Amino acid sequence: MQPGYVLVKEQLFFRKELIERLPWLIRLRWAVVVFGFAGCGASYLFWQWLPLPLLVLLSGVFCYNLLFLFIWRRLSPFKSQGVHPDSDSSFIRAQDVLRFNIFAHTQISLDLLALCLAIWYSGGVCSPLALFVIFHIILTGILLQPLSCYLYGVLVLLALGVLLWLQQGVHSPIFPLWYQHVILPHDGNSVANDFIGIVRYATLVAAVLITAFLVTTLKLSLRTKGRELLRLSKALDASNTKLTALYDMVKEMGMSTESKVLMDSATRLAAGIMGVKACSIKLLDEQHKKLRFASTYGLSEDYIKSKESIDIQKSPINRKIIDGAVYAIGHIEERDYFAYPEDIRQEGIASLICLPLRVEKRILGVFCVYSGAGASFTESDVQFFALMADLTAMEIEKLNTQLNRIWFLQKAAHQLRSPLHAVISMLKILQKGYLGEMNVKQEETVQRCEKRLELLDSLVKDLLSLSIRRTALNPDALHRVQAPEVLRVLSGLFESQAREKTIDIIFRIDENLPAVMATDRLLDDLFTNLISNALKYTPPGGKVTVCLTRAEEGGIRLEVTDTGIGIPEQDFSRLFSEFYRAENAKDFTETGTGLGLVIVKEILDQLKGAISVSSRIGEGSTFVCHLP
Amino acid sequence: MSCITDILVIDDDKDLVESMRIILESRQYGVRVAYNGKQGYEKIEAKIPDMIILDVMMATDTDGFDLAYKLKHQLEYRNIPIIMATSFPQKMAEEGSEKFQHILGESWPISHFIEKPIDPEDLLIVMEKILTEHKMEMNQSSV
Repeated sequence: MQPGYVLVKEQLFFRKELIERLPWLIRLRWAVVVFGFAGCGASYLFWQWLPLPLLVLLSGVFCYNLLFLFIWRRLSPFKSQGVHPDSDSSFIRAQDVLRFNIFAHTQISLDLLALCLAIWYSGGVCSPLALFVIFHIILTGILLQPLSCYLYGVLVLLALGVLLWLQQGVHSPIFPLWYQHVILPHDGNSVANDFIGIVRYATLVAAVLITAFLVTTLKLSLRTKGRELLRLSKALDASNTKLTALYDMVKEMGMSTESKVLMDSATRLAAGIMGVKACSIKLLDEQHKKLRFASTYGLSEDYIKSKESIDIQKSPINRKIIDGAVYAIGHIEERDYFAYPEDIRQEGIASLICLPLRVEKRILGVFCVYSGAGASFTESDVQFFALMADLTAMEIEKLNTQLNRIWFLQKAAHQLRSPLHAVISMLKILQKGYLGEMNVKQEETVQRCEKRLELLDSLVKDLLSLSIRRTALNPDALHRVQAPEVLRVLSGLFESQAREKTIDIIFRIDENLPAVMATDRLLDDLFTNLISNALKYTPPGGKVTVCLTRAEEGGIRLEVTDTGIGIPEQDFSRLFSEFYRAENAKDFTETGTGLGLVIVKEILDQLKGAISVSSRIGEGSTFVCHLP
Repeated sequence: MSCITDILVIDDDKDLVESMRIILESRQYGVRVAYNGKQGYEKIEAKIPDMIILDVMMATDTDGFDLAYKLKHQLEYRNIPIIMATSFPQKMAEEGSEKFQHILGESWPISHFIEKPIDPEDLLIVMEKILTEHKMEMNQSSV
């Protein structure tokens, strides 16, 4: 931010008080007018004496206050845009503040003139109204600059001095001391006594100057504190912005399902948060001998190529960072930091911070931010970047652990399925007679072997699918999918399966259904599991109906109804438990892993959908899914 | 020139390779085998096959894809039809292009995915279809 802009913002913050006090001043003046008139009324009531000059003066005050009110209403539209310190139109607001200042000076000058006249009409320097100048000095001290406060103080004293001179000089007092003349007993000497007059005036001078001094000192001290508060609030604001950005960064990194995506987010966001031109993550190779760029932001291709692989033994800086040191370099050119400083100069890097990416005591690599300006990092920047580096390292480690887990599961599934597939393939060769004809009993046995192995294969496949789904990492990025298209692709496959089992299968798919947030694979798995279940537990000659319609509550509704064996009521609660198969299901068919409905439930949870089941033993079952 | 169609089966599972050899030889295909991508490439260099049946995961998780990619970048080998055998044909077909980004941007090298365990009849149907299409394409391009 420009320093000038900051200064204007700061000044505006303090001018706010002036602008807020102006209508208060107008209200206060109404009170003075009301009390003034009431006082004149009381004087007439108790002493049958009406101070006419005072009444005229009060009427004048009343009139100019009306005028001020009118001007204030004209000015107030600027108020809303003029005082907000965070608004951007600071230039216009600075002009508005000037208008408010002139307005305040006009009001205070007129008030002081009115007060001087009131003092003059009410007996001069010795008038009790003379004390009221003190209030004006206080008011000026609060609202205006200290210099203005002293200036008004001096003006008032000059005016009162002139009055004193008029009273004591050749001119006799124009107006008598009302309170001594009318309200209090008259002593006859006060006005004539020069000495008393001078002493009273001197006391007033002292009182006015002391008041001006106290008020301005207090105000300056308050203003200093206010500035400090403003600075603190700004620092807090900045910290808050940084922390919010850091939170967003961690959130974005947490959603990444690939290391490269995660690190690209980290470098891009870190450069943004730190306000620098570039950022990079270099990771250590498995032998911990070389550092390679894993992600960069804002660095040129040439620079990345020139530092593609850094041998740690040949790079003392990187070696120290790997050992845990923090490198914050304010001026690249100041010392002989780098082996090839010209590369860094060409890249436009003037200062940088490099930190180890560390998870507990293990070092993953080096995290750097590069600035185009020299000495652009403060101690707090380094601390904040260290926090960012720790969080990034944790996220990288977390994702790697999850990816390793998935890799292990996939590898384990592959290793388990490979021999199974080889055996099944060999059995198929036997069964199809590639190695000569088999007798009926041999063929039956081979068929049974094949079925059991296929079940084992399905089990491995389902377990893999379920395990990957249950890792914290969610590999499926949801997008808008047309469910009818997915179901239509599957319908052909299920129609041929149903034909083989002599089951009648009907698909009713409504046109113009809304798209749902899912992936083709998730919907495919969901539909496949539900429909193959219905086909599996429906005896030959039965019927399966699949309806895909618009749901009343929005989204889509899938209803799979069969005329199969049905589900016993006591098994409803355990239907979505792992490896659970109802007794009648086990009796009906040996195939079935007990994981199909668990997968269905987990897919629906992921898609924020719901499922309900209704069934009657021997009559069939209906599964209804709702997808938003 | 021999009229026997030469099929190269590349898979690290020897039992599966033998099963495929039995199936293919029953239809008078000439069968050569290799047990990893490197061996497979050497056999291709020795003699260009009419078709390759390739496993995805062999010496490395992407050995099959790496070989397919390598072949598609060489003028003399780029037209060899490739059938990829995998336990996850749907997943491979859908995600292969995303997972193996080094292949993306080029033409997708795989002619067909076939699911393991291999059904002999399915395999033969697919092979015959691809070989016929390939022959027609070659004839058209030579005309």
